[in-house]
Amino acid sequence: MNVDGVTALFARVLDDPEVTAESDFFGLGGDSLLATRVLSAVAREYGVELTFDEFLLAPTPATLAKTIASAAR
Amino acid sequence: MRVLVVGAGLAGLTAADDLAAAGVDTTVLEARGRVGGRTHGIEVAPGVWADAGAAYLGDRHTELHKTLAELGLSTHPTTMDGSSRFALGSRDDTRDGRFPPLNAVALGQMFDLLDELTATVRLDAPWLTPEAERWDSLTAAQWAEQHLHHPDARLFFPLFLGEMMAADPATVSMLHVALYLRSGGGISYLNAFEGGAQQDRVHGGAQQICERLAARLGARIRLNLPVRAIHQDARAVTVHADGETFRCDALVVAVPPLLAGAIDYRPGLPAPRATEATGRGCAVKVQLVYPTPQWRDRGLSGWSVSSTGPLLSTVDDSPPDGEVGVLTGFVTGAEAYRFAALPAGAQRTQVLSQVARLFPYLPAPIGLHISDWVSEQYSRGCYAAVFGPHDWLRLGPRLATAHGRVHWAGTETSTEYFGLMEGAIRSGHRAAMEVLSSYESVGRKR
Repeated sequence: MNVDGVTALFARVLDDPEVTAESDFFGLGGDSLLATRVLSAVAREYGVELTFDEFLLAPTPATLAKTIASAAR
Repeated sequence: MRVLVVGAGLAGLTAADDLAAAGVDTTVLEARGRVGGRTHGIEVAPGVWADAGAAYLGDRHTELHKTLAELGLSTHPTTMDGSSRFALGSRDDTRDGRFPPLNAVALGQMFDLLDELTATVRLDAPWLTPEAERWDSLTAAQWAEQHLHHPDARLFFPLFLGEMMAADPATVSMLHVALYLRSGGGISYLNAFEGGAQQDRVHGGAQQICERLAARLGARIRLNLPVRAIHQDARAVTVHADGETFRCDALVVAVPPLLAGAIDYRPGLPAPRATEATGRGCAVKVQLVYPTPQWRDRGLSGWSVSSTGPLLSTVDDSPPDGEVGVLTGFVTGAEAYRFAALPAGAQRTQVLSQVARLFPYLPAPIGLHISDWVSEQYSRGCYAAVFGPHDWLRLGPRLATAHGRVHWAGTETSTEYFGLMEGAIRSGHRAAMEVLSSYESVGRKR
């Protein structure tokens, strides 16, 4: 699992260095457009295509890293 | 010292207000029988106004906020709670939030590409952007053909451009797309309601900004006087309006480029204001009025996105106290041209049948208002001019450069918040400042 990598990805998309593994993307000002940019980065970096709804269910770096790991299996 | 301002929209009235406040003898010539330009209010119920033109603003629109505060006007947030309706391709969906039922990775890749391009634009001089010639010779449709491979991205791109900047991908220059997005604060800020450029509306309608500025200027404003010719020599400017001639020491032209370009200038301009490639902002705004915002009872926000027209999107534009429900629909891009060419009866029928499909439980509206900005004689498009291929390279360097005693204002002359009310106001302040600093005697000869 790559929690640090996903945390860095959130920080980049949100332009917010304070993101932690438990930060909620939408609570930090993320919206649906920015969410698509997280998902395109996830596809590029981890080779996993997630849906918007999957991201809604896993909106923190910690939970999204789990989703990525199980989708990659 | 006497200064004339052509155009009583936000830019012209801002400039005139600054000049008058500095003690300059100022007169505003307006072609229409009203002030406001591309802001216009419709009374949808007694005392309740909806914006038929420009409507939205965000926190970054600092000059607009200053003007509102100074004029005693307030804002209220755009309501966006609940589910959205989507009619994309052959699908019909109701979903929480605003995200369409499309491939998120494909849309993300599209936004990545747009953001990357947008970041390269030089706001101080868009024509000096790296590879400006390449981007300015490409239409958005050609760019999409080369870069967007997923069908969902290809479906969404024209809807996004229509919504953001009232542009038809087939005719807009890709450099213009990038400039517009950069100028407005980037794709995320421009796209967002809360925290973005659509966060708030002016309470009672944005037309009040111009109405209150006009009230301050009083008899300095002359209506129903379209300007046809602007002739200058070393000492003065002569302005020929319909039936009247004016003399002044300096002039601010604050009308959209397509209209400014239709005026006869002597001596002629060193560069055109518009070319055959310059397009009209393709927007028709439709307001449907209901006794209450009944879609909210069904948990819907009023937001919808459709891939076939006429209404490519709808949004809840009800006043904050909910005394009536106002659903505003946008007909944009190529669809706006098709729709604008229909007879009024066919326009109404198409709007009503589409709304019946999107919101089947709504009763018939008690009011239906269609504001066709594409055909509007004294705007020639809205939100703003859509620059076509090669326009930025040809027109850009001189958009805000005075031609002798003729100075330019209007949202298209501002590379900050181009196309928005904020850009118009910034351009008005800039033009007034230019006049005040260019002619030494301005402050003294009253």
